[in-house]
Amino acid sequence: MAQTLSPPAAAAQRPADTWSSRLVRSTLNNRNLTIGLLIITSLGIIALLAPWLAPHDPYLQDTANRMVPPIWHETGSWTHPLGTDRLGRDYLSRLIYGSRISLFIGLVVALISGLIGTTLGVLAGYFGGRVDAVVSYLLTTRLAMPVVLVALAMASLMGGSMLSVTLLLGLLLWDRFAVVARSATQQLRDAEYVQAAQALGCPLPYILLREVLPNIAGALIVVATLEVANAILLEATLSFLGMGVQPPSPSWGLMIAEGKTYMFFQPWVITIPGGALFMLVLAINLLGDGLRDLSAPGGRNE
Amino acid sequence: MWAFVFKRTLIALSVALTISVLCFSLLQLSGDLALSIGGPEATAEQVEQIRVDYGLDRPVIQQFTTWLWGAVQLDFGRSYYYQSEVMDLVVERLPVTMTLGILALAIALGVSIPLGVVAALKRGSWIDRMAMAIAVTGQAMPNFWFGLTLIIVFAVKLQWFPAAGSDSWQGFVLPAIALGYYATPAMMRLTRSGMLEVLEADYIRTARAKGLRTGSVIFKHALRNAVIPVVALAAVELGFMLGGSVVIETVFSLRGLGQLAWNAISRNDYPVVQAIVLIIALFYIVLTLLADILNAVLDPRLRAR
Amino acid sequence: MSNLSTAEHSAATSSPLLTVKQLRVDLPVAKGTLHAVRGIDFHVERGEMLCLVGESGCGKSMTSLALMGLLPRKAQVNADCLNFDGVDLLTVPERERSNLRGARMAMIFQEPMTALNPAYTLGNQLCEALRRHQRVSRQAAHDRALYLLKRVGISAAEERMRQYPHQLSGGLRQRVMIAMALMCEPDLIIADEPTTALDVTIQAQILHLLRDLQQEFGTAIIFITHDLGVVARIADRVAVMYAGEVIETASAQALFKAPSHPYTQGLLRCIPTPGKTLPGSRLQAIPGVVPSLVGKIEGCAFCNRCDQADERCRTTPPLQAVAGEHFSRCHFAHQLASPAPLNDQEVTS
Repeated sequence: MAQTLSPPAAAAQRPADTWSSRLVRSTLNNRNLTIGLLIITSLGIIALLAPWLAPHDPYLQDTANRMVPPIWHETGSWTHPLGTDRLGRDYLSRLIYGSRISLFIGLVVALISGLIGTTLGVLAGYFGGRVDAVVSYLLTTRLAMPVVLVALAMASLMGGSMLSVTLLLGLLLWDRFAVVARSATQQLRDAEYVQAAQALGCPLPYILLREVLPNIAGALIVVATLEVANAILLEATLSFLGMGVQPPSPSWGLMIAEGKTYMFFQPWVITIPGGALFMLVLAINLLGDGLRDLSAPGGRNE
Repeated sequence: MWAFVFKRTLIALSVALTISVLCFSLLQLSGDLALSIGGPEATAEQVEQIRVDYGLDRPVIQQFTTWLWGAVQLDFGRSYYYQSEVMDLVVERLPVTMTLGILALAIALGVSIPLGVVAALKRGSWIDRMAMAIAVTGQAMPNFWFGLTLIIVFAVKLQWFPAAGSDSWQGFVLPAIALGYYATPAMMRLTRSGMLEVLEADYIRTARAKGLRTGSVIFKHALRNAVIPVVALAAVELGFMLGGSVVIETVFSLRGLGQLAWNAISRNDYPVVQAIVLIIALFYIVLTLLADILNAVLDPRLRAR
Repeated sequence: MSNLSTAEHSAATSSPLLTVKQLRVDLPVAKGTLHAVRGIDFHVERGEMLCLVGESGCGKSMTSLALMGLLPRKAQVNADCLNFDGVDLLTVPERERSNLRGARMAMIFQEPMTALNPAYTLGNQLCEALRRHQRVSRQAAHDRALYLLKRVGISAAEERMRQYPHQLSGGLRQRVMIAMALMCEPDLIIADEPTTALDVTIQAQILHLLRDLQQEFGTAIIFITHDLGVVARIADRVAVMYAGEVIETASAQALFKAPSHPYTQGLLRCIPTPGKTLPGSRLQAIPGVVPSLVGKIEGCAFCNRCDQADERCRTTPPLQAVAGEHFSRCHFAHQLASPAPLNDQEVTS
């Protein structure tokens, strides 16, 4: 018979093991999560503090200083560390302000599509039957649509702008939310606490909001991060093709489009904004992977 | 099995119908088509004439049913911009897009399956970590930027491939890579996890107990089972690639459906846009159906009635 | 009960088919090293049926996997001698080892439902076993597979060849596994609890089948089981395992007549005997639990559950010869083998 400590003594020996300190520890242990979080937080801060961080006005044209290369070329200078574009606008400032566009659109689109997709998914998963059939049909239809093409067509109809892109993508990107919400809700549908709430006569919105939603939130957050990344890439694509955010806004996709003509001799005009996009999306993906590992520890084969 | 196919086909057709309705109604929102066709210089009579010519003066439902009836017979009307039948334009451009899509898929499979297998066999090794790194970075790159970078490096600096055009097969290499790399991470991960799972299976132990050589165990027994979901995914990815070709074809100036769609959109050439969206949606639906069929073909357990 | 004459005859005229001396299998686990097999000795004569008996976790499956060379790479296998018909299994390169597997020594596993590849027909899986090891034509392999399927009692064999595993029941699948093991006429078959996952009636059929096949083909079989009833029905010789050791080996007859180890005695006492065990009386059980195999075990592994244990049991008992081929790893082996006559009270103690 092994010696066991009495409960109070045992508890006194362990450090404060609260919910939040455990979360912090799991986060730090997960390298993906830490790196992703670091990069995103930095970019978020940069985006917020853009007016103070950007050395110049991103819209200010300086035709005397067009196409100045970045600092690592011989003719570069610290006045424009990342060079200037074809209209003499400072690239670094445009890059910084561009982060605002990407982050804003990414988050708002994820919010809108998340609302739509989660609602549809939860309703389908909870009620099953006809409701499920209708939602599944909507899903199949939406999935069959070539998103980029449809977004392009609709954007050209609505006229490209930040607002139209946000609305459009928000209305189009709800599919993954719906799929995940639906299957997660289905798994919960027969859970005892849900049945208990039903037996108590709780109103439907209460059950859905207080019993179902918190328990599928984990999976939804992971999907949300992926959709933010997806939205950012799609906005960049639309802007690149001219149907998204319009000039002179410093959308990164637009910067690449504008730099396309010069890319053969001054590749940095597209490498820089492209690299920024890459970093941001990579960080978000790492964050999503990390969150997924957190919510499903000891994941199967990774 | 046939009941299943029939039911799926029925759903597919109704989805296609829904999409075409959506498409059609969207166009109606775009304002006066006759005006945009005529252009800013057109006189009132010319605009009126256009309206009659293109049937824009008839009620909307009638316009839709006329279009739908034509669509069923593969007659999508005439392009507003090009002076030819939409179907002719589509048929002319389709081979390029199909070639691009299939080549992209082939490249993606050719990279992801071997990489996934090796990563699973040498789990935790540097190859495994490199494969995962490729997966993670691959998903983060915007494909148009990747395409442009490929052009800079391989077409301009190294001069290995042409930067644009679809005249020779070399012109398809870079675009196919740019289109296919995005599907690689998902398929590689699926192969890897599938292999890891299958290698633990009892029948692999039986195969080894029979004294079969390692190659036979890995390829004949393990991969054969692990690859089933990957093949199904590949069919679906092809559908995505066909839809996403618009960007790549624009970047590489390929005369495919995507570029046609892009031009049509910027010129408000709606019959063309409608037709292409519908056709690509149909392709996707067929491919998803194909994915299910492939699943049943490859996994004998699914064939039971 | 069993075909003693064949076994005795081969023992007298040739060296054993398989000789195992001090086999040890260690597995690194989270908490340290699991000593799954802690130095076992046994041998198998040509054509004989050796039953390896023991409860779950005693190391019998590990032993079989070690013999076949199918343990994961992180497992460490050591032995003083691991000899299969002249081949030193410890030093033989993997390439030759795989030539042996399936051809000279075959294995049948416990779970027939998952042992066959769902993607290939039975015919395909049967024939590949043969064609891997011998240069035979497709037709010849096909014919042999057909013959064996019929021999193991599968009707409509021709049709079954074209079927997939999921179309067969568990009992049928296990018969196919037996046929598959026999494809190359191996000298040794290791059957790891082949009937445990099957119905009792099917069990009896499979046991009968194995016995017949063994006598027809002259194959030696190591039959691994936890069921003493099975042992009584088919074994020529028995090796009893406990906590990673072989604690008693004997001919089946000798083991049941004169068990010489407290554990074996305990096992036999647990079996209710019609006629002897009074209705309403308590069933016997061996008190205590098996010691953990992670980390070292000092002395006899059974002593914490043994009612005979004393100071001597702190040191690992050597293998004592009780009679000719009857060995027991216990200090009290001789006393237990020929005990003073029991009276009825002691039976229920």
